[in-house]
Amino acid sequence: MLPTRMVIATRWKSPNSRTHNLPQKTTYNKMSIFREHKTIADRAASDRSRHRQKIEKAIKESIRDVVAEESIIGQSGKKKIKIPVKGIKEHRFTYGTNEKNTQVGSAQGKEVRQGQRIGHRRRVTPKEGQGDKPGDKPGEEMYEIEMSLEELAGYLFSDLELPELEKKNFKFTTQEKMKRKGKRPYGIRPRLSKKETIKQKLRRKKAAIKAGSYDPESGERFTFHESDLRYKHIAPVQKENTAAVVFFVMDVSGSMTKSKKFLARSFFFLLYQFLNHKYSSIDVVFISHTADANEVNEEQFFTQVPNGGTLVSTGLVKVEEIIEKRYHPNNWNIYTFYCGDGDNWSIDNKEALASFRRLKQINQTMCYTEIGRLQDYREYSLFASGTGEKRLWDWTKLAEDKNFKRIRLEEHKDIWPAFTKLFGGRT
Amino acid sequence: MSDWSMEELQGWDKKICTLGETLGLDWYPIEYEICDYKEMMGHMAYTGLPTHYRHWSYGKSFDRIQTEYNLGMSGLPYEMIINSNPSISYLMTENPMPTHILTMAHCVGHSDFFKNNRMFSETGADTVIDRFKAAGRRVKKYMEDPLIGVDRVERILDACHAVRFQVPRSPGVKRRNHKGLKKYYEDLMRNDTTRRWESFDLNRLPLEPDSNLLAFIAEHNRFLEEWERDLIRIVEKESLYFIPQACTKIMNEGWACMIHEKIVNALGIPDDYFLSFIRLHNQVVRPHLGRINPYHLGFKIFKYIEKNQGFEECLRVRETHNDETFLKTYLNEELCKDLNLFTYSFHQKEGFNRITEVSGEDTWQTIRDDLIKTVGLNSLPVVLVKKLEKDGTLILEHEHDGRDLELSEANKVFEHINDLWQGEVRFTTVIEDETWEF
Repeated sequence: MLPTRMVIATRWKSPNSRTHNLPQKTTYNKMSIFREHKTIADRAASDRSRHRQKIEKAIKESIRDVVAEESIIGQSGKKKIKIPVKGIKEHRFTYGTNEKNTQVGSAQGKEVRQGQRIGHRRRVTPKEGQGDKPGDKPGEEMYEIEMSLEELAGYLFSDLELPELEKKNFKFTTQEKMKRKGKRPYGIRPRLSKKETIKQKLRRKKAAIKAGSYDPESGERFTFHESDLRYKHIAPVQKENTAAVVFFVMDVSGSMTKSKKFLARSFFFLLYQFLNHKYSSIDVVFISHTADANEVNEEQFFTQVPNGGTLVSTGLVKVEEIIEKRYHPNNWNIYTFYCGDGDNWSIDNKEALASFRRLKQINQTMCYTEIGRLQDYREYSLFASGTGEKRLWDWTKLAEDKNFKRIRLEEHKDIWPAFTKLFGGRT
Repeated sequence: MSDWSMEELQGWDKKICTLGETLGLDWYPIEYEICDYKEMMGHMAYTGLPTHYRHWSYGKSFDRIQTEYNLGMSGLPYEMIINSNPSISYLMTENPMPTHILTMAHCVGHSDFFKNNRMFSETGADTVIDRFKAAGRRVKKYMEDPLIGVDRVERILDACHAVRFQVPRSPGVKRRNHKGLKKYYEDLMRNDTTRRWESFDLNRLPLEPDSNLLAFIAEHNRFLEEWERDLIRIVEKESLYFIPQACTKIMNEGWACMIHEKIVNALGIPDDYFLSFIRLHNQVVRPHLGRINPYHLGFKIFKYIEKNQGFEECLRVRETHNDETFLKTYLNEELCKDLNLFTYSFHQKEGFNRITEVSGEDTWQTIRDDLIKTVGLNSLPVVLVKKLEKDGTLILEHEHDGRDLELSEANKVFEHINDLWQGEVRFTTVIEDETWEF
């Protein structure tokens, strides 16, 4: 319909004339204009998509909170996690919600008395610096986005350049598997196919009756012939293994503080999610070590009370043992991630390096992660330079190649770059 | 499609307008745009202005409105009208006729208020649509400029939006720039007979504390590029345009409710229409338990004035008052008790709101004053530019009135101010009786 326009015949008083003379009803006869129009374009579209971009960015930034709070490793991919997203709020000066900020309400027709409690209980605002759990502060705008771990992983890895990555860094182990490939007239006895052999014999018998060379009424046995024998044929084919096992090895000695473990955990989470994303099934083995190593479950892995010294090689030897027993490299894609603070007993360094070298041969990707600040390390090397002693970080450099990577995590924001270093893609 | 026709709409409009005139109202011509609910949401998100500039925050509010509407958490407003000449208003196709009748009568009330209330005298209703259009075009130009781009524009706009209400609260007072202010004080000193201005320091900057943070930054930040300055001024001008509406929310809504009630009662609408009207009207002006419904409060007070002093007085009140003076003058003990107003505050230790006072003989004045402290912009802190040091440090101070700032928010806003000032900023406030500097 076309815009309906009505012409206003009367003249309007200038809005700025502030004379207010009571009723002037006789001077004119007012009417309004009606317009029916349909805008085709959604005017908010671009601003909405801009806003969504910001949310997506915020989601990526909030994922570390999720990593921190959820028990994620080993969870089913269908599990829904809530991701609190903050930071898209618009800020302005406001008064705090407290005793001094008095508000007024009305309660017409209701009984109210002084001192009465009203409304719902709210959690008390944490003071600055006391934890930053989102959602505690009243009035804080939170988006809670619910997604499954699968979706989350998709989100996380959407930024990586996957095609290139699959070519370069992502391989499956292959295995020769025997597959049936029909029947054939020769072979070994155990593969004799009785059913097929009988079929052959029956076929020959029918033909013989038809030709008159055999009379079924005669009572004579129609015997098997050499040419009736059929054997199952089995041929080898190359098959990709889609199962993987991930070893998470962590130093839980006294020097690994809670915050360091937390960093490690976040990193492990990413690795786990990524590999889970790629393989059809995945096994996770947690190995914690001090001066000796144990296989533990996830909870123990992250919460174990630290004690004892550090012998990195014990953890690695344990990995080798388990691989030997349960995960043959021909059948499994093996990933080993070692995580520690590099504080190894110096006598063990050579042994550890040898272990790393052995392991990287059978691993798809292997990674030595050191947690701690580079600065501490520099001080250390200054101090240690006199003795000529090298740290594990230096030793492992000797083994570094495309299968074996060294990664240093100082703080949370290093995780993503470290991850991309390991698997390629953009940072 | 709806159960009404355009002709019907025009018919009712004519009657409404005639009745409005009989009441002695004087309003801008109204242009009703008939739109569907989606367009309505768009108009709501952009504060009703059809030509508003683009910014992600409006996309955000659109999404919120849509979600709430789809979930049935909130309906869409019946009425939305812009302070412009002609006044633009929106009618939703989906609404039935009785709603339109109420809306149109209500709009006449609002438009009359815009045109007559003294707070609105400097809002430039004649040109506002074009001004916003021009501003919107400039913002778009900056966003598309390859040397500027969306990100940089947003950085400035985000920061401006954070302090958009740090503007003077008395509408219509023109801001003097430093030069003008200096001349003003020089004249004062020259003609000083009381010797009061003798020791006044003419070299300080600003000469008097400036509550217009945006204008001050636009005027005194030498590092700003022209487009940045322009953006700051655009946001400042928009705020100044909206301040009168924030200052008169209770009155404006009360007045419009009173007018629509009067008009519709006199319209002689069919019985079934009338029932719908009553239902809607009561929904709009009902008290909200535990809160203040501005429609309800304003309506009640205007009814009270009419009962005791006549409608002529109401017309005078709608012209001269704002919410603050309106409540101060007309909210009396009787009304306080009738509305059962009470004050409450949040007790952090308990995690509960606790009622502090209920309306009574000795308490109603406290309650009224506390109410005044929370109406319009009084619910937002005042931040003043105290000084601009020679080394370029900007010194800001929160005018503490007993209520402490929310620190986490203030921190974020402080960052935004830093973005705008591009130099040292110092900001002081009082938290739990101690001076706090950012």
